[in-house]
Amino acid sequence: MGNLYHNKTAQWIAYGVFFAVLAIIPLTVDDSFLLNQFATYGVYGMLALSISLCWGFGGILNLGQGIAFGLGAYGMAMTMQMQSQTESNPIPPFMLNNSLDHLPMLWQPFQSTGTGMVLAIAAPTLFCAVFGGIMFRARVSGPFFAIMTLAMLSAFYTIILDRQAYTGGVNGLTPPSAFQFAGVEIDPYSPTAYWVVFCFLMGATVVAKLITQSSFGLVTQAIRNDAERVRFLGYSVAGYETVIYTISGLIAAIAGCCWVMLVQYVSPAQLDVSFSLSMVIWAAIGGRLSLLGSIFGAFLIQGAQSYLGDTFLATWLLILGGFFILVVRFLPNGLASLLESGLGLLATKRPSPAAQSNGDAKPMPAE
Amino acid sequence: MDVSSFLNALILGVSIASIWLIAALGLTIIYGAAGVINMAHGELIMLGAYSSYMLQFYLGVPYLLCIPASFVIVALVGLALERGLIRYLYHRPLDTLLATYGVSLVLMQGVRLIFGSDPKYLAVPEIFSSNVSLGFASISTFRLVILAVTALLVFALWLLFYKTRFGVQVRAVMQNKEMAASFGINAGRVYMLTFALGAGLAGVAGSLFGVLAIVLPTMGASYVVQAFLMVVVGGGSLAGSVAASGVTGELQSVFASFTNDTFARFIIFVLIVVFLRFRPQGLFAQAGARR
Repeated sequence: MGNLYHNKTAQWIAYGVFFAVLAIIPLTVDDSFLLNQFATYGVYGMLALSISLCWGFGGILNLGQGIAFGLGAYGMAMTMQMQSQTESNPIPPFMLNNSLDHLPMLWQPFQSTGTGMVLAIAAPTLFCAVFGGIMFRARVSGPFFAIMTLAMLSAFYTIILDRQAYTGGVNGLTPPSAFQFAGVEIDPYSPTAYWVVFCFLMGATVVAKLITQSSFGLVTQAIRNDAERVRFLGYSVAGYETVIYTISGLIAAIAGCCWVMLVQYVSPAQLDVSFSLSMVIWAAIGGRLSLLGSIFGAFLIQGAQSYLGDTFLATWLLILGGFFILVVRFLPNGLASLLESGLGLLATKRPSPAAQSNGDAKPMPAE
Repeated sequence: MDVSSFLNALILGVSIASIWLIAALGLTIIYGAAGVINMAHGELIMLGAYSSYMLQFYLGVPYLLCIPASFVIVALVGLALERGLIRYLYHRPLDTLLATYGVSLVLMQGVRLIFGSDPKYLAVPEIFSSNVSLGFASISTFRLVILAVTALLVFALWLLFYKTRFGVQVRAVMQNKEMAASFGINAGRVYMLTFALGAGLAGVAGSLFGVLAIVLPTMGASYVVQAFLMVVVGGGSLAGSVAASGVTGELQSVFASFTNDTFARFIIFVLIVVFLRFRPQGLFAQAGARR
């Protein structure tokens, strides 16, 4: 018997248990505020998952995931804002304050909920595909790519801050009513909203897991380990990198939409450098090489921030920073690697007869 | 746009360039020599501002003496940082980026705990708070001080790197660490000293920025991305950073005179991304520079 951690069946069972636990939550929690909070953790989980896919499996450290998240969130917020505008009142109030007398071109597609939703998802994904394509084609990689994403993130942050008449500036957008989809209002504090996020999180996780197990996923992992060798074998490294980066961006864009649905708010703070870096922290602490570990990392850190944050309000960032340094220094693969070595220990201590007969276990003295 | 306001923008651009350059100097040295992406650089700048504030407020040290004192204090912090953490991570460049971000969180929150989140102010000699008129343009004296300090530091660094034995060692380690080590250069020591030097330069920048803006625990965050871009555009060499800051500072100032500061910064960011797409090695690539 090998390490249980690497057993695919065991991994799928772990996924099943994890999502079963998440599915029990709305049945047992009555507090609608708490349920809304749990749902936002689900969004953070999706972000950590997207980082894990891109960084853990693709080896592309993306410090600008806030771009995809933020653009998705803005698209969704614009859609929701337009849902509450009527014939007699066709322009969002903040535009009137900025002396715009007609709806700008940028906003017109968002008058239709369907088009708005598609744009909210497609625009960030397209951006990732184009930006990633350009960068990876130029063989920009490693820390250098991380800095480029940082620069791009800062660019988006400044432009959204600056174009106040179109984006609401530093105040952002606060759609006044809940999201309506196909005639149904999705109250952010209802179990329905939780289930929407749950389904997207589960869907994204399963898709990501299938990707990592496919031959495509194997090639991306090979690129992570040694891009040059993979290139010499005739694979299009840039192509693989662009695709994994784009999928990761797509997940983040969906997360952005879900987030606005839950909190009815978006501001440039969602494109702030520190938010994108906290996504990386979640994945790093949970374990970037494990999809489930990253999601767990997001739950752990955000949960701790909410609950310990009140007690250790002043020292929370100190604790987080210190913990993060320790993880990077001593546990580069995060908490999941603890589980991995723990299960590994179990596997070597009690080798099963099957493993011995396979011949890959060391000869054991007679017992 | 008339000629005089254009000239005015150009002069202001020199000043902006010197501010960006002094923020980027320490980072240039650390990235250029050791290949470390120091995300805590902004917080080292912030520490520089706070050490000047401390010296001035508690000990009554005159401002001009606070600048070198900040250099020493922050260099010691950098030294401790390198010995305690960074030196274990040289072979994992992405992890140095993450670990130093952790350091920046710790420093920021630590300072906030000690000094509170309310802004502090640095007092400067009367003469620095006036304006100098250059016929058609007027510029605050303190910006000229920053320009002078920056020029002085660049000259000193040039002397250090190209005219001393230590400089030869640093450049040797930069080009090929193993080869340098086999010629008897203690590469670990070189890394340690360059890191401390880079941190100290951040301290100097901090004590200057503390006057230019207010002293806050979060003040460093606004400089770090900009400083990185200067280093990356420059290619990690001293001359590169000087050129990159000069060009972007002027562009920022000229664009800002057409639109506004924020939009000008957006254009700069986009131009930098486009530029690096076609020239990832930066303006002046170094021989054997690591990526």
